Amino acid sequence: MPSMTMSTLPDFAQPVSRRAWTKRLLGPIDEATWDELARGLFACQFARVPAYRRLCTAHGITPKQLVSWRDIPAVPQQLFKREKLFVHGSAKPAAVYETSGTTTGQPGRQHLLSTDIYRAVSIEGARRVGPLHSNPQFHFLTPSPAETPHSSLSAMFGFWQKASGQADSLFWIRKGRFEFDGLRETLSQAISVGQPVAICGTAFSFVHLIDAWADLPPLRLPPESWLLETGGFKGRSREVSKAELYAQLAQIFTVPDYAIWNEYGMSELSSQAYAHGTSGLHGTPPWTRVLVCHPSTGREVSVGQRGLIRWFDLANVDSVLALQTLDLAERTASGFRLLGRLSRTEPRGCSLSAEDLTTSATR
Amino acid sequence: MSRVLTTLLTPLTTRQRLDLLAHAYPRLFPRAELIRLLRAQFGHIDALDGWISRDGVRVRARTPKLIYHVCAGNLAVSAWTSLMHGLLLGARNVVKLPGDRDDSSARGEILRFIRGLPAPLRKLVETHRKLDVEILRRADAVVAFGSDATMASLRDQTRWDQKFIAHGHALSLLWISDPSLLTTLQARACSRDILTYDQLGCLSPQAIYVPRGADIVALGNKLAVALEAHWRTIKLKPARPLSIAARIVEARDVAHALGHRVWLSPQNHLGWMLIHDPDPTFQPSPLHGVIYLREIAESKLTAALASVAGRISTVGVAGGISSRLENVFLSLGVSRFCPAGHMQFPPLTWHHDGRSTLGDMVTWVDSERGA
Repeated sequence: MPSMTMSTLPDFAQPVSRRAWTKRLLGPIDEATWDELARGLFACQFARVPAYRRLCTAHGITPKQLVSWRDIPAVPQQLFKREKLFVHGSAKPAAVYETSGTTTGQPGRQHLLSTDIYRAVSIEGARRVGPLHSNPQFHFLTPSPAETPHSSLSAMFGFWQKASGQADSLFWIRKGRFEFDGLRETLSQAISVGQPVAICGTAFSFVHLIDAWADLPPLRLPPESWLLETGGFKGRSREVSKAELYAQLAQIFTVPDYAIWNEYGMSELSSQAYAHGTSGLHGTPPWTRVLVCHPSTGREVSVGQRGLIRWFDLANVDSVLALQTLDLAERTASGFRLLGRLSRTEPRGCSLSAEDLTTSATR
Repeated sequence: MSRVLTTLLTPLTTRQRLDLLAHAYPRLFPRAELIRLLRAQFGHIDALDGWISRDGVRVRARTPKLIYHVCAGNLAVSAWTSLMHGLLLGARNVVKLPGDRDDSSARGEILRFIRGLPAPLRKLVETHRKLDVEILRRADAVVAFGSDATMASLRDQTRWDQKFIAHGHALSLLWISDPSLLTTLQARACSRDILTYDQLGCLSPQAIYVPRGADIVALGNKLAVALEAHWRTIKLKPARPLSIAARIVEARDVAHALGHRVWLSPQNHLGWMLIHDPDPTFQPSPLHGVIYLREIAESKLTAALASVAGRISTVGVAGGISSRLENVFLSLGVSRFCPAGHMQFPPLTWHHDGRSTLGDMVTWVDSERGA
């Protein structure tokens, strides 16, 4: 397979090129095609993102020297807080998604020239490996995209809503207030007519919901309804384990464990992984790859070993395709088992660390 | 009755406790230093055992009967010192051990220290794995190390009239006054400050500050050689499990991407890393041997360190320090200056966090003649 040269690289500034790239991503992708696309995107981003080029050069990796896509250097998530990683230089981005966590006083920022590819893959990814199989009535436990234009999660939920053809805005956090009563009333109406519903939000928002409805009778969601939670809640008002959260949700909404989904995504990426049930493994869409690597070696760990998740996302055309997370996982024969975010609370006593000066959170 | 049995059954004098401590741990607690500590804190070595005369007044120090020590999980040495204080005072010492973690050896080191005490002192110590609020509230004095949140939480659980000595989070810095004059010995001294205790204590420097205009590459090269040389001398090298390696590698890759100069071990290990950050504003290091080199104009120092004002413990100095610069550091709350190479080894008379730790735990009794 001949490698892509700079002259044949798609120009992601052009809508027609972006459409063509999206079409390739959503089409059949065998290993050779994946490798070709990854090499091409790497070459493009190496050439156009100075900070990424510096990192790759320090690792001794250039597009010409690349042996395998597995060797493509990954940027630490932290870098999005320190540097603008944008392929298009000074062009005006259509969206800037921010992480809320910070150790520098600055949030991490993902710049997208257009939201077209993000929209396409976040819908198609949820269809292929996530819960978007039917057309339930959506309820989102987040502010709307209009209210929080810098939230990639709200944006994705907005894409889902539009793709479903539902005109009603069912984003239940409005002006900073969680409208528990309105949500319950609307859910009750859907239940009364047997309308399947999907309730999507952060784990933290579900914890709030559980607390708010602690004294109310459970709701019996219609068949084919599902819940989707994402993100953690470490450092929030209270922490609960995933098993505890799922058990409480299953009880409150009278849904089976397998009808509760986890979305694993982040602002710095365009694609997401999905798992369902307390012990389900995450699936990833075909235009992504996930490696579980040990930071000491930079290499993939063996099956059964623990490491950190490294994402390769061919939809991340406007910044960098390879992202090194601090998310702990166990490598399995078929992929990975997400274990959670690496604790920042190392054993320290009197020594001051970044966490003492700031707080951190995600997406 | 044998002498040993007598020692076990009768209360020991301060001199006896001092001798036992110095005999058990002569390098950690040299006898002469222990005497100096008692004299500095109480004016007289026997002030804990009877009346002494001070400025014409008979005084004696009443010691706490029960001290509760809440130990941190990063370093055993702070717990050892705290226990030494408690034992010198002849108190019963209850030690709340840090949690057992695979990336810290502090708990085991504290237990080994206690096991190494002579029997008459060991019987004054008991260890607990969990916080015992009842004992915490009953103690005459509480000495605690840990996060600010832990300190606040403990404070909430103490009585108003308890002596509460809290050591929250702090950091330290190195100042190299003239990098062009830095000798190999001074570079080694800086390396010792950085790598001792794997950079985990409040006395560990998290950044090296140098005056603006220095030859950073030459300085970095010199320090890198010294860091590698010192790392090689460490017999029990600190582990780099996944969680720690991840922080180090993250710092390295961010620095590479930002175009900062990074000095790495030629042996490719993660024992140390030197990063030149052109931004003088202090940012915490991920610790574990990662040190930032920053240039600063003296006039900008206050602004650069504003985020950690009041939390800077020690400034280690390689070369000299002007009184003007000293005043800048003082205004930032620095409580100790020392030569490079000595940062991690303060004398026993050191005022930890600016306090007379031992003296803070006693209550003075005055007896005025002719009253």
